[in-house]
Amino acid sequence: MKYWIKWASLYHLAAVSFTALLLAACSHTVQVEGKYPSPVGEQLPLSVGIYLSDDFRNYTYEEDSEDREEWKINTGRAQKNLFETVLGSMFTNTVSLVQYPENLPDNVELVIIPEVRELQFTMPRETRVNIFEVWIKYDMNAYDPKGEQVASWVITAYGKTPTAFLQSQEQALTQAINIALRDAGATLYTGFEKVPELQAFLSGKLRSASLQEFKVKSRKAE
Amino acid sequence: MFKILIVSALIFMSGCTTVVIDEYRRSDGELAAGDSVVILGRRHSSDYETEPDLIACVGRELHNPEMGVNIIPEEEFVDIMYPWFEPRTAPMHVRSLDRLMENEGVRERMEAYGVKYIVWIDGSTETTASAGSISCTISTGGAGCFGFGTWDKESDYEASVWDFRDRELSGKLSADAKGTSYMPAIVIPIPLIARVQNNACKGMAAQLQQFLIPTGGTSS
Repeated sequence: MKYWIKWASLYHLAAVSFTALLLAACSHTVQVEGKYPSPVGEQLPLSVGIYLSDDFRNYTYEEDSEDREEWKINTGRAQKNLFETVLGSMFTNTVSLVQYPENLPDNVELVIIPEVRELQFTMPRETRVNIFEVWIKYDMNAYDPKGEQVASWVITAYGKTPTAFLQSQEQALTQAINIALRDAGATLYTGFEKVPELQAFLSGKLRSASLQEFKVKSRKAE
Repeated sequence: MFKILIVSALIFMSGCTTVVIDEYRRSDGELAAGDSVVILGRRHSSDYETEPDLIACVGRELHNPEMGVNIIPEEEFVDIMYPWFEPRTAPMHVRSLDRLMENEGVRERMEAYGVKYIVWIDGSTETTASAGSISCTISTGGAGCFGFGTWDKESDYEASVWDFRDRELSGKLSADAKGTSYMPAIVIPIPLIARVQNNACKGMAAQLQQFLIPTGGTSS
């Protein structure tokens, strides 16, 4: 009896291990860790609050369709690093907000909140081209200190990487995602002033700043 | 001794590769002391990507500070110039450099690194054909493979040399390489690999060196 129990336990253990092995063989997990350089260029004269929600910081894309293998792609930490670095270099002053809209610091003129709308990827065997491709779409929202929306725009990022000898699918996909994130940063940086609503907001701020400067100078002259 | 010879022969045996290099030169290279060269891959095409390892290989082959050729690694350059040399934002023509130089930060960094030439490499290496089959078996008596496989690879690269200071195209190089690899398998598979991309890299690097230092000596 004793032996029977032992054999039954071993049998179950083996069955569970085998099932776990099979499941693991079909599922892939990717944790994207990335450090991104600060953009080179002039800073915009604004004090900006950056709010990255918990969903954004821990974003994980899960692919669970019948046609594909199971994928779990976590880009949260990498995109947090990217947005903090790029937005942090774009403006003369930036504040990382732990919560929004509560406890907004007085000096903040604009609050920027990014959200992931979509992530897509293709593998070489699906496209018959020897490259891994990734697309990420971000919804960008900007609010004034009163909480009213100033602008809403979309950033589309693309990254690809060629298949390389002795490189796993996970490594290749991580590389493609990092390239896509760099592209997102480039689009954010170069496209910010091209958004009409932000352009108007910036010129309004510059006008009022120069008006204040003029008033200060006039008072001094008096 | 005989065994060592066989092993050495297997290591050094490889498929044949032919490399054709063409050059169009508008002006001779003139690298002064402290000048640097940047080698970058074009990554804007949707159906292929210039391999980062090819760019690194050309850079490694060319880098020779004793001869006055100082190469800035691609990754380092792209990072210090972020985001102006990303696939989406990189200048496609020499004349676009003028607009980029209006950015004071970019201009200062370019000057600090002493960039004289920017070499853009565009192209890729692809497997064009393959044939044959190899089957392997594992049994209680042992394991072994039997069969024959062959595949052709083609490299097609074009390098454009931009004179950053004079804002002009100094010339263009192209490297076309073809090679066939073989893999006979009688118990053990013996790969005879044609190093097509590597040979294209070496050919291109040698030609670029002649381009940048025409006399082949140390620049002043």
